[in-house]
Amino acid sequence: MNAATAGLAFTAMLPEHLLLLGMVLLVGLEIAGRGRRLSGTVALACVGAAAATAASLALQGYSATPFAGHFSVAPAALLGQAVVLALALPVLLMARGEFTGGEFPALLLASLYGAGLMQSADSFLTLFLGLEILSLPVYVLVLLAYRRPQCAEAALKYLVLGGAATAMFLMGASLLYGSAGSLGLTPGQALGIPSLGTALGSGDSMARAAAVLILVALFMKAAIVPFHSWAPDAYEAASVPVTAYMAVVVKAAVLLAAVRLFGATELVTPTFDLVAVLPLLSIVWGNLAAMRQTSLRRMVAYSSIAHAGYLFYALLGAPAGRLQATVFYLLAYGLFNLLLFAALPAAGDDRERDRLPQLQGLFQRSPFAALMIGMAMLSLAGIPPFPGFVGKFLIFKNVIAAGHTGYAVLGLLGSYLGIYFYLRVTQLMFMSPDSPGQVAGTVTVSARVASLVCMAGALLLLIFPGWMLGHLLP
Amino acid sequence: MLEAVALNAVLFLPLAGALGLLLVPGDQPARVRRLTLVVMAIGLALTAWLYIRYDSNAAGLQFQSRVPWVAAWGVNYLIGLDGYNILLVMLTAFLGPLVTASAFTAITKDVKLFYAMVLLIQFAMLGTFLAQDLFLFYVFWETMLIPMFLMIGIWGGERRIYATIKFFLYTAFGSILMLAAIIVLVVSLPGADGRLSFAFADLVQARLPLPLQGWLLAAFALSFAIKVPMVPLHTWLPDAHVQAPTAGSVILAGVLLKMGTYGFMKLGFPLFPDATQLFTPVLMLLAVVSIVYGACLALVQDDIKKIIAYSSISHLGYVMMGLLSLELTGIQGAVIQMVSHGLVAAGLFLMVGMIYERCHTRELSAYGGLARLLPVYSVFFMVLTLASVGLPTTSGFTGEFLVLLGAFTVAWPQHLAGHPLPLALAVGAVSGIVLGALYMLRFASGFLFGAAKAPQAEAHPLADLDGREKTILALIVVAVFALGLFPGEPLRKTAIAAQQFRQLVTTSRLPALAP
Repeated sequence: MNAATAGLAFTAMLPEHLLLLGMVLLVGLEIAGRGRRLSGTVALACVGAAAATAASLALQGYSATPFAGHFSVAPAALLGQAVVLALALPVLLMARGEFTGGEFPALLLASLYGAGLMQSADSFLTLFLGLEILSLPVYVLVLLAYRRPQCAEAALKYLVLGGAATAMFLMGASLLYGSAGSLGLTPGQALGIPSLGTALGSGDSMARAAAVLILVALFMKAAIVPFHSWAPDAYEAASVPVTAYMAVVVKAAVLLAAVRLFGATELVTPTFDLVAVLPLLSIVWGNLAAMRQTSLRRMVAYSSIAHAGYLFYALLGAPAGRLQATVFYLLAYGLFNLLLFAALPAAGDDRERDRLPQLQGLFQRSPFAALMIGMAMLSLAGIPPFPGFVGKFLIFKNVIAAGHTGYAVLGLLGSYLGIYFYLRVTQLMFMSPDSPGQVAGTVTVSARVASLVCMAGALLLLIFPGWMLGHLLP
Repeated sequence: MLEAVALNAVLFLPLAGALGLLLVPGDQPARVRRLTLVVMAIGLALTAWLYIRYDSNAAGLQFQSRVPWVAAWGVNYLIGLDGYNILLVMLTAFLGPLVTASAFTAITKDVKLFYAMVLLIQFAMLGTFLAQDLFLFYVFWETMLIPMFLMIGIWGGERRIYATIKFFLYTAFGSILMLAAIIVLVVSLPGADGRLSFAFADLVQARLPLPLQGWLLAAFALSFAIKVPMVPLHTWLPDAHVQAPTAGSVILAGVLLKMGTYGFMKLGFPLFPDATQLFTPVLMLLAVVSIVYGACLALVQDDIKKIIAYSSISHLGYVMMGLLSLELTGIQGAVIQMVSHGLVAAGLFLMVGMIYERCHTRELSAYGGLARLLPVYSVFFMVLTLASVGLPTTSGFTGEFLVLLGAFTVAWPQHLAGHPLPLALAVGAVSGIVLGALYMLRFASGFLFGAAKAPQAEAHPLADLDGREKTILALIVVAVFALGLFPGEPLRKTAIAAQQFRQLVTTSRLPALAP
């Protein structure tokens, strides 16, 4: 590698390098015994710098191919990365009261490294690397709340199912390699080489099997029905910041990778039906199951299963608009989900904090938290004027513009089912009398900062949706 | 230019007021009330000034502002006044201060949040009327639900949570299908350069095949008919009205119900003229069923709020009938009827709220002979009752008379041509007036006359209206008579819009056949 390509690789991977630097610093701090005080700040600074770098490179229109065929950056990918990194910032803020040591930030940074790698992957090999680097730290993160007995069980469940997904992904990629002779994500279609979008329609049974395996792996990682069963357990067992991380950042990374995988190909039957029907089932089942939950994190898990459904719907639209719709939706969904977790009032213990009745009469105890959670709920339900609505509008507009009105109407009706349980939370907070037994825990300053950061981002999305969308078109 | 600024101020003042309330300490409810009242009063003054400045002879939008909002989809922030919305904007601005003042003594819990909700709902309602862009319209349309949901749910009666969730889910169901229809409509009409447009002015040029028009109208109509509400989609209304606090009922009856009929007039019918022609008999039938069925239900209620709630269903049936007559008198009558019902129903709900504050029951049979106990109250009540019945010189008469005139003007030639249905429907609608007189007079006679009784009267001697209550009611009564005696000016302001509406709905706009 000569000096020019080395420089190229350095700039193109600058966000990743910043994360790496952060990890090294954190390990150093741990060794020096200063981790308790400084690790959170260091992690915040590094992730912030990485997000800012990715965003500024994207806005400059920077594109480069440091490792041809395996890794290339383009403005769209960088913007995706910037969004993923930015969404991790409130998670770090939230975690400051929860974890004092350096292990949480270090693992988080490692996971984010993988998320970044996925956004710029050009080959299945790089994508696999990214997916693994993203997932492995999360298994440990779930386990970090080891005070609770069921978290080992949940972490194991998550690990086994995640491992199965990884195995399927790898199997699919190798089968595709066997049939196409290339590891590239989007090999030349003119040559008749099957890619993920077209493989199911091809006559090559190896390619068909590969496409099914890879799709199922994606569905598993994104928790799409019927591959969703790990999500409620893992979300419930993990501590609040980790749940937020799984629900928002991991999901964002996987979905953006899915957009990249399908590239510029229109979905055709039968791939189309697979990507339409299972997400539709997720929307309906996720919303129905969420109605019955009494644990907040399980409810969020089911709600995020439904949201994964909407996000996969974005793939049904024309290829040009997919990234725009996905990124906008992820921002709206992510910011408000994070807002919910950041504003969640502290309670005696973690288990207590998780109970929905804990929110009863919250407005009397803590109006700020109640207003924040209320807005988060309405936005997640997709009620205007909150950005969640604009995100849904964009996705369903693209689906209808592509001519799939039937699926769009069914998806919208499915989203109607979700309104009830979001309203129920609002109702508990505002309309139920304050029950005397509630313990009002202290809200840490950093959690409050996290909710204000999320709210500020959400307000920007709310008032200037056009600005954001303008930068997301190819 | 100055007018456009004023119009934006009218729209955003309530929002600014709601944000301003955040700065007022929560333990000073008096300041919260005063601030809200001042904001509403300034809004009313500005609106009144715009109302005077509005040029009745000019067609199209006046005082408009346009700012690109989501440029990529052709969504603009586009607002303006026209003949469709001017009276309704005026009505909304007029009721704002009255609603605010009416809740001064009734609401003592979470006062700050309550007035923030009152201001937010005012913002959303004004926005819905003023929006001239479909996306903007939808955003405001849905935003309205949130403060209303909280208002009924927090300050409502004992079954408030059931009522408010029912209200929300009912209306959201209509909206979700309307959203699908909006997207289909816009996506099927790319402009010459392939860009989308959500502007009403562009959309009413749409030429769509009849089946598509039918489906889209069905989706829009479902949403609007739930809001009106038309039988059989009305069941959320009595619950919401009965459980809502007085201010919520007043907003609901005064303005929110007009959203449905306004939607039909501004969007539903003009966007899909051919489908409208096709659906007219069904919608007309539903309108008459609403009139008669609503009146019959009002006749047998013992809850005084329910009587007015069901009478609203009946009165709004006339609005639908006037719009569907497609006759200028009928259309203008419908607009007047909207405003008139807004005033009268709001006034009646305010009066029910005042008596409820004193006696804490809404059972009609618990009351009697209030004329002797509360003379001033009874005079106001009688005036509003007569306005609701449609006594000449009150606004109720102007509206209902014009609507029926329009309906008969259309029905008679059709009857002569051998189509008896329209005439039968018009006659059916007249019976609603008789029933209206019956249930309102039953209400008033039981309430005001007979042996004097009122719950808890022994413990606390009933106090008649105080100055604040008298002022509120006097303003409403003046407006009711003004609209009844001098309907000329409002009719002039809406004349051009009524002509436009009629022309849009009666001109077929099927796609041109391929050459």
